[in-house]
Amino acid sequence: MDQLRNKTAVITGGNSGIGYATAADFLAKGAKVLITGRKPEAVQQAATALGGEIDSFIADQGVTADSQKLAEYVRDRYGKIDILFVNAGVAAFESVADVSEASFDTIMNINLKGAFFTVQHLLPLVNDGGTIILLSSVNAYSGMPGASVYSASKAGLNSLGRTLSRELASRKIRVNIVNPGPVATPIFEKSGIPKEAVNEEQMAKALPIGRIGQPEEIAKLVSFLASDDASFITGAEYNIDGGISVHPLIG
Amino acid sequence: MSSLKDKIVVITGGNSGIGYATAKAFLAKGAKVLITGRQPGAVQKAVHALGHPAEGFKADQSDMNDIRRLYDYLQGRFGKIDSLFVNAGVAKLAPFETVTEALYDELMNINFKGAYFTIQQLLPLISDGGTITLLSALNAYSGTPNATVLSASKAALNSLGRTLSRELAARKIRVNTVNHGIISTPLLEKAGLPDEARTHLSSITPLGRLGQPEDIASLVTFLASDDASFITGAEYNVDGGLMVHPLIA
Repeated sequence: MDQLRNKTAVITGGNSGIGYATAADFLAKGAKVLITGRKPEAVQQAATALGGEIDSFIADQGVTADSQKLAEYVRDRYGKIDILFVNAGVAAFESVADVSEASFDTIMNINLKGAFFTVQHLLPLVNDGGTIILLSSVNAYSGMPGASVYSASKAGLNSLGRTLSRELASRKIRVNIVNPGPVATPIFEKSGIPKEAVNEEQMAKALPIGRIGQPEEIAKLVSFLASDDASFITGAEYNIDGGISVHPLIG
Repeated sequence: MSSLKDKIVVITGGNSGIGYATAKAFLAKGAKVLITGRQPGAVQKAVHALGHPAEGFKADQSDMNDIRRLYDYLQGRFGKIDSLFVNAGVAKLAPFETVTEALYDELMNINFKGAYFTIQQLLPLISDGGTITLLSALNAYSGTPNATVLSASKAALNSLGRTLSRELAARKIRVNTVNHGIISTPLLEKAGLPDEARTHLSSITPLGRLGQPEDIASLVTFLASDDASFITGAEYNVDGGLMVHPLIA
């Protein structure tokens, strides 16, 4: 398992959930990994638990100045990187009528604007032939009640990925998007949604595969896309959702 | 890639191009592979080149009798199989006005009807928790001139993949579709592609090259492996970025 040997990867929001599982998978496949996160203690704890060729940096990906500082740190630490996994994101679920401007800004700033400027600032450091993977959600294409801002932020992110795939093709930088369905991650709790508001059993029933996904399953797809096995894949949007996005109409 | 170790894989149309490259990739990852093909000589040659434990079976996937014979053979030989890669297909181009009923039937019978009944007949042999992967093409979603029948046959195939992902979920059989872009395969050669067309096709692909059969094989083996255990009903493009519409560029 040395699919990612000699590759250097940056993962935003890497101290828990999908980011953390992906860091672990990248490391297991031989990559050097830097994770970012907002809370110094959580980031430190994650880095210690991951071990090996890990490094970490405190950054709020919703703050453009932090992306700039991250880029400076990455340049001094590694010079160039091969893989950027834009994973940091937040969720909130409330009806359109209840969405405050502050809530709107928080979600859009981290999920879309933060992603945009993270990519822009780190782009000069991404090697030609490198790869950028954006973590989106099947919400990018759904019409889920209560998710107006979250879904729009993800739709915007997928659009960014498509445009970047064409803009960066001349540098042979592959840009792909992963749309997970329901996955067992702390994103809800971290976004201030009470645990009891998220009914995992009910979610599991809605999934053709009969269960929600695990962060490790998303990590395997991200690793595949980051590897040379995916060298002809760019501009792609891959659902990994236990089949939920296939509309049954009735049934 | 231990997750494919000793898995039994059936690949239709496996004696050349993407099917052959995928057979090779499965074997490299420890699976046992049976390929089918129409021409006995070509199948035998491919099996020989692939080496142990590759096997072959002569079948025209558009012929119901051949599909039933394939079922009987697989049942006797393996009992159960883990993965089915529905790869057999043909590509022929013709302006809409000139498409004959014969051309229409040929493309639809191999690309769609053959795929449909191959899956229906082999389904009882597929283990619960197994996988079915359909080889489609970007044409399923494009509006390529002169590809009316080819594109419709592939669109129908993707539709089948979506429906099966829901129908077979109860048995935990994962069904996914791979849409390839422009790949350098014998199918392209057989279409009589001149060199300048090859250069043009490379230049319109954002990554600046034609895909190789191995580019598809690595995704198909990934989807068949336990690494893809949460992926079903998905349609994955492998196309060097061609499908992203630039509008103007």
